This record gives sequence, C-alpha cells and structure tokens, in this order.
Amino acid sequence: MTSVGQTVPHDSAVGHVTGEAHYLDDLPPLRGELVVDYLASPVARGVLRGANYDELRALPGVVALYTAADLPGHNLFGPVIADERFLAEGTVEYIGQPIAVIAAQNFRALREAKQRVRWDIEEQEPVLTIDQAIAAQQFIGPTRTIAKGDVEAEWQQAEHRLEGTFFCNGQEQFYLESQAALAVPAEEGQIHLHSSTQNPTEIQQVVAEALGIGFHEVVCICKRMGGGFGGKETQAAIPAVMAALVAHHTQKAARVAWTKDDDMKTTGKRHPYQIRYRATFTAEGRVTGLDFDIYSNAGATADLSTSIMERTLLHSDNAYAIPNVRFRGTVCRTNLPPNTAFRGFGGPQGMANVENVLQEVALTLGRDPYDIRRLNLYDREQQNQAPYGQRLTTHVLPEIMDQLVEESQYRKRLTEIEAFNQSSATTLRGLALTPVKFGISFTTKFLNQGNALVNLYKDGTVQVSTGGTEMGQGLNTKIRQLVSDALGVGYSRIRVMTTSTEKNNNASPTAASAGTDLNGMAAVDACEKIRTRLAAFAAQQLADPEAGIAPEPELITFADDEVWDTRNPGRRMSFPELVKQAYMERISLGERGFYRTPGVDFNRDTGQGTPFFYYTTGAAVSEVSIDRFTGNLTLVRSDLLMDIGESINPGIDRGQVIGGFIQGVGWVTNEELRYSASGALLSYSPTTYKIPNIQDLPDALNVRFIQNPHHHLNVRRSKAVGEPPLMLCLSVWMAVKHALSCVRPGRIPRLHLPATGEEILRRLTELEGGAAFQTPECEIPLIA
Amino acid sequence: MRNYLLFYVNGSRYQVHGEQAFQSLTDFLRYDLGLTGTKVVCAEGDCGSCTVLIGVPEGDRLIYRPIDGCIQYLWQLDGRHVVTVEGLREAEALHPVQQAMVDSFGSQCGYCTPGFVMALTGMVEQQQPLTRQSVKEGLTGNLCRCTGYEQIIDAALLLNGQTIRPIAERYHSEAMRQDLLACADDPATLTYAESHTPERHAVVISLPVSLEDAISFKARTPRAVVVSGGTDLSVQMNKGRLAPKFILSLTHLKELEGLEVRGDHLRIGAKATWSEVDTFAAEHLPEFHRIIQVFASPQIRNAGTLAGNVGNGSPIADSMPFLYIMETEVELTGPSGTRRVNINQFYRGYKQLDLAPDELISALWLPLPHPEEQMKLYKVSKRKDLDISTVTAGFRLRLQDHQVADIRIAVGGVGPTVLRLPKTEAHLQGRPLTPEALAEAGRLARAEITPISDVRASQDYRLQVTENLFRKLYHDLEAEPAPVA
Repeated sequence: MTSVGQTVPHDSAVGHVTGEAHYLDDLPPLRGELVVDYLASPVARGVLRGANYDELRALPGVVALYTAADLPGHNLFGPVIADERFLAEGTVEYIGQPIAVIAAQNFRALREAKQRVRWDIEEQEPVLTIDQAIAAQQFIGPTRTIAKGDVEAEWQQAEHRLEGTFFCNGQEQFYLESQAALAVPAEEGQIHLHSSTQNPTEIQQVVAEALGIGFHEVVCICKRMGGGFGGKETQAAIPAVMAALVAHHTQKAARVAWTKDDDMKTTGKRHPYQIRYRATFTAEGRVTGLDFDIYSNAGATADLSTSIMERTLLHSDNAYAIPNVRFRGTVCRTNLPPNTAFRGFGGPQGMANVENVLQEVALTLGRDPYDIRRLNLYDREQQNQAPYGQRLTTHVLPEIMDQLVEESQYRKRLTEIEAFNQSSATTLRGLALTPVKFGISFTTKFLNQGNALVNLYKDGTVQVSTGGTEMGQGLNTKIRQLVSDALGVGYSRIRVMTTSTEKNNNASPTAASAGTDLNGMAAVDACEKIRTRLAAFAAQQLADPEAGIAPEPELITFADDEVWDTRNPGRRMSFPELVKQAYMERISLGERGFYRTPGVDFNRDTGQGTPFFYYTTGAAVSEVSIDRFTGNLTLVRSDLLMDIGESINPGIDRGQVIGGFIQGVGWVTNEELRYSASGALLSYSPTTYKIPNIQDLPDALNVRFIQNPHHHLNVRRSKAVGEPPLMLCLSVWMAVKHALSCVRPGRIPRLHLPATGEEILRRLTELEGGAAFQTPECEIPLIA
Repeated sequence: MRNYLLFYVNGSRYQVHGEQAFQSLTDFLRYDLGLTGTKVVCAEGDCGSCTVLIGVPEGDRLIYRPIDGCIQYLWQLDGRHVVTVEGLREAEALHPVQQAMVDSFGSQCGYCTPGFVMALTGMVEQQQPLTRQSVKEGLTGNLCRCTGYEQIIDAALLLNGQTIRPIAERYHSEAMRQDLLACADDPATLTYAESHTPERHAVVISLPVSLEDAISFKARTPRAVVVSGGTDLSVQMNKGRLAPKFILSLTHLKELEGLEVRGDHLRIGAKATWSEVDTFAAEHLPEFHRIIQVFASPQIRNAGTLAGNVGNGSPIADSMPFLYIMETEVELTGPSGTRRVNINQFYRGYKQLDLAPDELISALWLPLPHPEEQMKLYKVSKRKDLDISTVTAGFRLRLQDHQVADIRIAVGGVGPTVLRLPKTEAHLQGRPLTPEALAEAGRLARAEITPISDVRASQDYRLQVTENLFRKLYHDLEAEPAPVA
C-alpha cells in the first residue's frame, strides 16, 4: 500500500495535543542562560542621539546592553536590497525599530529596564501613507511594468470605460508563537542558533555577517514554528541577531522570545495597497483593457517588497484573459515597520483589485457578475495567454466555475437574495463567486532549488532532513509519506529530522507554497539514488541463475518493507535485512538529493517569461448577511472548490484550504490595522486586532476538490496548496459589494478592504444619503 | 496565619513563598515547573493558549472549570488544583479529547492546541452538550490562526462526553481536598522586598479569610489593589502598566460569594463570576443573558466578576447599559459600615468612582424587571464574540396605551462614562413608538453623546451607530409584541 494519498495524521499531532512538542521558548534552559529583550524606537522618524544606557546597565539583574556599535560585523542586511539595520544607528525609521539589546538574569529585570529607558531622539515628521510617499517621491526600486497590447488606444475607442481607486489595508500574520531565538556559544567562536524561522539559511548568513564570522561558524536549527505565514521568512533575522550578539559577547546561552505586543509593533505585515484602475469593456461584458497603477506601502526598508510587488503584477489578471493590459507597480518607502511576506505574497492585493473591477463592470452593465467572470475566464485553448507571455494549458478553471455555480445553486440563490434585499429593512444579503489562479514557483529563479539528506540505519530505519521548515503546514508529514513510498518502507520507519543548516546548506526559505514541491522532490531524489544502489545489491542477492533469474536491478521491487525480484515474487528479503547486508558489503547508506524546478524563467526588466511551473486554481461562492444599522457582517455560507492535483495527504490539504480561506476572510472583514497620526500601531494585540474567531465560521462551509486530468507535473502529480486558498476569501469581500449594490440599484458602491462593520456602515450611509463620514480615504486608518 | 500560598498542579502539592508568589500561573508552570505545554501568546486573555482547568472545592468534590492561566496570578490560586495539558494523559493513552484532535487534524502548527484541548476537556468536564453550536460557544475563547477551526469542531463532534472519565474523578483525593479546604480558614500574608529594582520596594500580598480583615487591610493600605477574578488587573500587570506593591486577594472571602433574590432585588455578591450571573440570567434575564453570551469567553466568565466590571469602571464595559437602565445599586463596605449608591451616580468621570480608599464593593443590588417592561440591549463590536465593544446601549421601556409611559436609555462607548440620554428620553416620553419618533430620537441622541475616534472605531461610526440603534430598536420591538400589563 502506498503512503502518498493516505490521510495520515500530522507528523507532530501527538506532541501538539499533549504539549510535548517543543517550540523555542519551551526548550529547557541551559546553565547560566540569559534572557534577552530589546529597546525600541518610540518615534517613527528621527535622529537618534542615545539614551540612559549606563543607568540601565547598572540595574539589578541586568547583565549587558548592546547597541549597533557592539556588532562585530556589519549592521546592514536585506534579502533583496541591503538597506535594513539590525539595530538602529544615527536615525530611527519606524516606531518599534530595535535600537538596543538588553540581556538579564530574569524577566523582572528586563521589564524594569524597559520601563526606565529615557530617549534622546530628535523627532521628525514621518511619512506614513502612500499618498505622502508619492508626494515625497520616496520609492524603493524602479517602477516595474507588465504590459500587453495597447491600453491607451483601447481607452480611446472602447464602448465602455470605468475608473476608480482601490484601497486595501495590511494584515498581521498573527502566528501564535512570536519571534524567538536561542543562541548557544560553541567552541572557537562558533554559534549554534535555534530560531523560529522559515529560513534557517538566511539566519545562518545574517548572524555570521553581524558577528563578522564565516557562514561555516554558524549552525541554525529549526525544529518547528508555532506558525509562520511568511512573517518568519525574513523577519526572524533581527531576534536571531539579538540572541547571537549576546551569546557572542557574554559566552552564555541567550534566549529571546518577543511578546505578542512587541512582535506586532515591530514586525512587518501584509502590504497596504492603493491601486488606480481603468478598465474598458464591451456591451457584452468582455473586458478589453485593464490599466492598473499600483502602489504598495512598504514601510521603512525594502525587505521583500519588490518581490511582493512582482507577484502583484503577475496576479493582477487573476483568472482572466484580457487582450490589453498595463500593470505598473511602485513600492513606496514610509515610516512604518518594514512590510514583508504573508501568505499570498502580493497576489491577494492584485487579485482583489481585479475582482473589484470585474464586479464594477457587471454593475455598470446591469449583468450578473458571475457571467462577466465566466466570459473573461482563461480557457486552455484560445484565451490562454497571461500578460507576461506564459500559456495556461493544463488548468481546469472553466470546469471549476461551471461545477461550482451548479453545486452551490448560485443562480437560484442570487435571485432570492436580490428579492430579499428589496423587502428587508433590517438586513442586507450578498452573494458572489470568484475564481483563484495562483502561480507556483519563486519568481526569483535561483530560489527554485532544494536539497535533502536521507540516511538509512542498519535496522532499516530512515532519517530524512531537508532544508524545508515545519510551521504547521504538514511538510514533514508529506516528506515522510513521499520517502515511505520512494523506499518502499513503512511510514513508521521514517523520521523527518530537525531542520539544520548543518545538514542542508543554502536552502531556500520555506515559502511560495513550494515547500513540498522542492524538498519533497529532493528527498525522493536522494531515495532513488539509494534505491539504485540497493537494487543493484539486491539483484545479486535475489538472483537465481538456475531458475533463469539473472541479476536485473531494474526488476527489483521495494514495497511494504520487503524487496523482491519482480520475476520471482515468492523470494523476498525484508528491507532491514537488505540494509544490514548492504552495510556489511560496504554500500553507502546515505545520500543527498537535489532538485531544481525545470523551465521557470522570468525577466523582470521586460516583464515577460515563464515565471511559474504550474498554477493552483480554485473558486469560491460566499453568502453574507449585513445588519443595516450597524454594518456588522455575518458570513452565512461558503462553498470552496479547488484543483490541488493528486493530494499527498487529503487531511492536511483540507486543513490548508479551510485555514487559508478563513485567514483570508479575516483580511477582507475584521482584521484592521489602525495607526496613530504619529505612526504607532494601535491595534497591536488580539484585544484590538481581531482575527477570525471560531464563531466567525459560516454555518455551512463546503469544501470540495476537482480532478484535473491535464496536470502531470510535480512530485506525485500533487500541487502546492499553502497560499492559493487564502484568496478564496475574495468571494466574501465581493459578496459585501454585491449586498451594497442592492441598496441603490444603478449606483456602484465603493468598498475599501477590509469590509469592517465601520466600512460597511460608512458605505451604507453614503448610499442612503446620510451624513458622510469625515474620515479621509486612505489605505490605513490614522487616528488623530 | 500562613506566609505562603498552597495549591496543587496535576495532583502535586506546591507551597510558594515571597517573591515567587508574584507571578502569573503560566510563568510558574513554564519556568518554575518546566510544564511548557501551556503556552502564552497574548498574555491578556484573548487567545486561550494558556487555558488550564482550575479545580475548586465545592460540596464533597472539586469542580473544574477552564480559565486563562496567563491572567491568574498565584495569589488567586491559593486552595486550588490546577490541571494542565500535561495532566490529561493516563499512562501512555491519550485523553479522548487529545485523540480526537489527532484524528481530525485539529492541530497544524500546534501552538494553540493545548489551549483548545483544555477548553474542550473543560466542556466535557462540565457535561456541556457537544453540538456544532455549543462547541463554538465553548471554544470562543481560543484563537487558532492555522486551521480555520473546522477540523477542531470535527474533533469535538467525535467525542461522547458520557464515556469520558471526568478529571474530578481521576484526580479525586480526599487528602488533597482537605488540604485545599483548610486554606480558606487560614489567612495568608506574604511579604518581601523586590529584587529587581534598586529601590527594593516592600511588597505585601494579603489573603484574608473574612470581610472584616479585608476591610481592615484596605484601611491600613489604601493603595492596595483589590483582586478577585483578576481578568483586567492581571492584564495591566502583564503589560507592565501596573506594578502594585500591596495586593488584597478576595480568594477566600465567603461573604462575597453567590447570588440571592431578596424581595424585588437580586443581590449579586462581589465575587460572583460572570458564569454564575449568567446561570441566573439564562432563566430570569433573557436579554442580559444574550449579551453575556457575546461577552468575553468561557475562560474569562469563569474567572471575572460582574462587580469587577463595575469596579474597573470602563465606559465600554458590556454590563453597564443594563446596570444603568436597571438603576442597579452598588453596595460598598468600609470600616464604618455599608452604603448603597445608584450606579447612575457612581461614576464621576472616566474611571472616577464614588468609592473611598478604604471601601470595597461588596455586592450589586439589581432590581428585577417588571413583567410588563420591555428591554433591548445592544453590543456593537468589530468581531461579534470576545471583542471589546465599540458602542453599547440599553433601552428599558414600558408602554401604556401604545405610548411610552416610562423609558430609560443608556449608551456606552460614546463618552467618558456610560451616558443616560435625558433629552432623548424626554422626547420619547408620552409618544407612540413610531419609526418617525425613533428616527428623531436617534438624531437627538447624536447631540447628547461625545464619542471619540480610537483604535476600535471612528467618532463618525459611533455617532451613526448610536443614531441607527434607535431605528434598529423599532424593528426589534416590532418583531416581539409588547407584553400586556
């Protein structure tokens, strides 16, 4: 029996439910270990002169306090552009920016020191919003463009046109385990570092650079994360450097575990966006041109913002074949914490914008928005070329849309809901069906590689290590299943080991939904190499010249912990026996596997190429109900349908789909980042930042998967599933827009993202002619 | 008189002295005992990752309820038995709740999982039904960022509560129970000098066993903070906004316990938890029950008290409009005796209370509503459940001949204290409740409130919602016919 395709429980499920699964702050303390925390900038922009550091150093229990001057190596880093400081130096660029690291014997001392800090900072006027950054001409990198056809000519000659501005706020990752690291000094200046990171290789590198030592002097280890969602792709670096700096200077183990409040104040989030859109279309609803001028609010430093904008440009078509497009993307530098990766990586903002445009096309023409979406949808034959040139020939988007509209009884419900809205004075309902097409691969080509280490032991058991990290997504479970099948040994004989740069070097971050694709393929590659050697040996052992069975390694079968020659299934060796004998014959029982994604290439200067190995697609229908008096929103029902290829583990994939969707629902509904006018995040804990709660689940949530006979790529014909389901949430946001459009038929309601109760009531009041809200139109609310 | 705290964790006995007592339960579990299964995420009772069961001697056994361990300080746990996720497993076998979570993919990253396991175990322990709806209610206090909750509900629905051996039975020990009970008769005072400040402040933690001693301590140390459920105070301490030097823990004050109907009033003891109040409300105060259901979470309702809500004095406290329109009286006890103040006069400004430094809130006196009255309570918040209100409102009225004979309106979140709206009330007095009259009342109400913009909402939103609630009231009253006098 194969392991792939089975609903095997999560690799660490028993540890999770018993509390025995260790996260970073759960590791037992080492002798003399110090606890570490940091002092953060209280102003968004200013000249940093110093603070009462000596007074703080003298407090009882405080062991050390370090600033940028204490970094033995350099103080600049960045995954794309090196413009970020580990510790502020000369200037401060956002509220929450780490300035100094404190090490102490206990938490009380740390807390006391933080309470007693007195800053000498000359405050300057911050730039917080996209409009302010445009006015100040503060950008990161060049404006990038993906274009096709001629949007200007189309604008001149089109039958119908519309234009407007799309606003969306950011989103906090809200991984439950905040950023954390534990640095242990090792011999001769080496550092062993435990980090809650999606990117151990980068942590290894930045720590080495900060300490001014070779990469080979640092080992970075990650057992698991208590959630990542992109927030630990680059931003685990600063806490890791904090711990390493203390360990380096004090030669004591040093641990940092940020509080949720500090984590939310200091780390970056999903980017807020502002997009000026123009669209042209025919009376039939065929969209002929899309012109998007896209701005993201990157915060103070580049982080991954240019790559994130690239993915926005590559997803501004979502699932629609449009003949003329021009997508221009500009990254704005502001005095907010550096925004970073978050599940979807710029895709959600681009896709939300184009879905909003299609909804408005439908409203303009008085048509069912589903029909407009279906009409413009990619097919496999004619309407199949993305604006960047890649052809989409193996997807099932039309089948997904057709199946979902039937299964969900969309048409009947739409009619009923629109009739209801005409009669109810208290409640508004809305319904929308939106597709998702998400490109799989890093758009930076060199990241599309993975390596794995597979070691067999003499009892026939197996340890596997990859550069991939486990953050709950089930990577390790899937690797175990893949290795189980690749070696023909039982799942329980395999352990997926702690991720460590000592075993897997130069790994890419576990990101872009590609963790299983890259690391799974690498692990299978290693297994195949071992199996080739074992097959050659087994062929000798199982040969029976008298029965005419000569050694034929290709005919050796590995399955169910046994090995046999296909021609003579009656004679079998147990896998442990084979391994033991192979060892005695001095056959290597370990192997490194490697994989690089074939065929992907994208030229960001021309905006053309084949950025993606394949696409994961799906669609969702959601129904919402709105209280007309308060604007409060209830998600009533959602039907999700996805093509995720051949699932390696249906239980895990179902969890990814539902979890991603609900996380997206949070982004489009109640998760709202609010800042003070001076740039302080006000919603910095779950008291004020409201991620979806169990009560926010719809009463009916139907999840289905569709077969795709055209998909033959990737490990065991599976598809990446981490990010794509998040964007199914756009059905919820569009359902709100649909509900609002019923208030004053013929008038297109505006709607910012997220659609909080306040945003909805603001639009309802606007439509009903009440007193307009005074709050300015901005991608982030700034509270005076 | 003791100079230590006494409690049990997973059946083991602990005595805690001096500075060690000044920490949250979760810090004690994680860093002193190495029981790291209990996680801390928000340290403010909003995520439930720290959920543990607290066993309290009641009758001849211990009753176990889920609470948030991060906002319980050790002085609240004197005489209690704490069961953590590490205490669930029997030998090698997983507890049925744990097994169901494994089988249903109820965990992804696993960080919230011990909290969910404990909250679900708490539901089983309290023999709550395990339907989709009740499970959602029972797990309102637990946040998960990975799963989208659906597979956690799947896990809960696999359980048959009847077949699961109760924690109370598994951990039953008469010796432990007697040991815990003895705490309630033996006052404790812990004194020490802070080690982490150069000033080395003296700290006193007092756990009296009589109201008289409590008042006496408060009179001697007027700066003492008074702790019962601690669901607000502990948050302030966790966040470094408060570092009290004198703590008066009400843990053992039997005089402040319980609810009792006395004549036409309900007397609510200062230590009565939200859960206890809700049990009464479910039967007798359906509209208040509806609000309690969306107030906080089971973990917080099991710890926090209604009197604490009043004592905290927040203008957005969910109980306030109800207590205002009911003309609830706050009973205050001091060295010279007891007095009662109408809650409408209890607040003099933002968190300014008519409470002398040597007085304690000892009870609330809630007049029971007349059968012919109508009441509507509203809580408007960003998220429906476990969210602090943006605007709250309460309407209490009596109609006579289709006209308003009596009306009280209170609105919270729109000023420094909860506001009564005298002009709006006067406008409606004697009028029929037509859509027009209520729309006009809504416009008048806008002028009587002074909301601000803050992290939860803008001033505009609060103004508009307050106005709209009058229109909503019309529809809600229309949906349920007025009772006949």
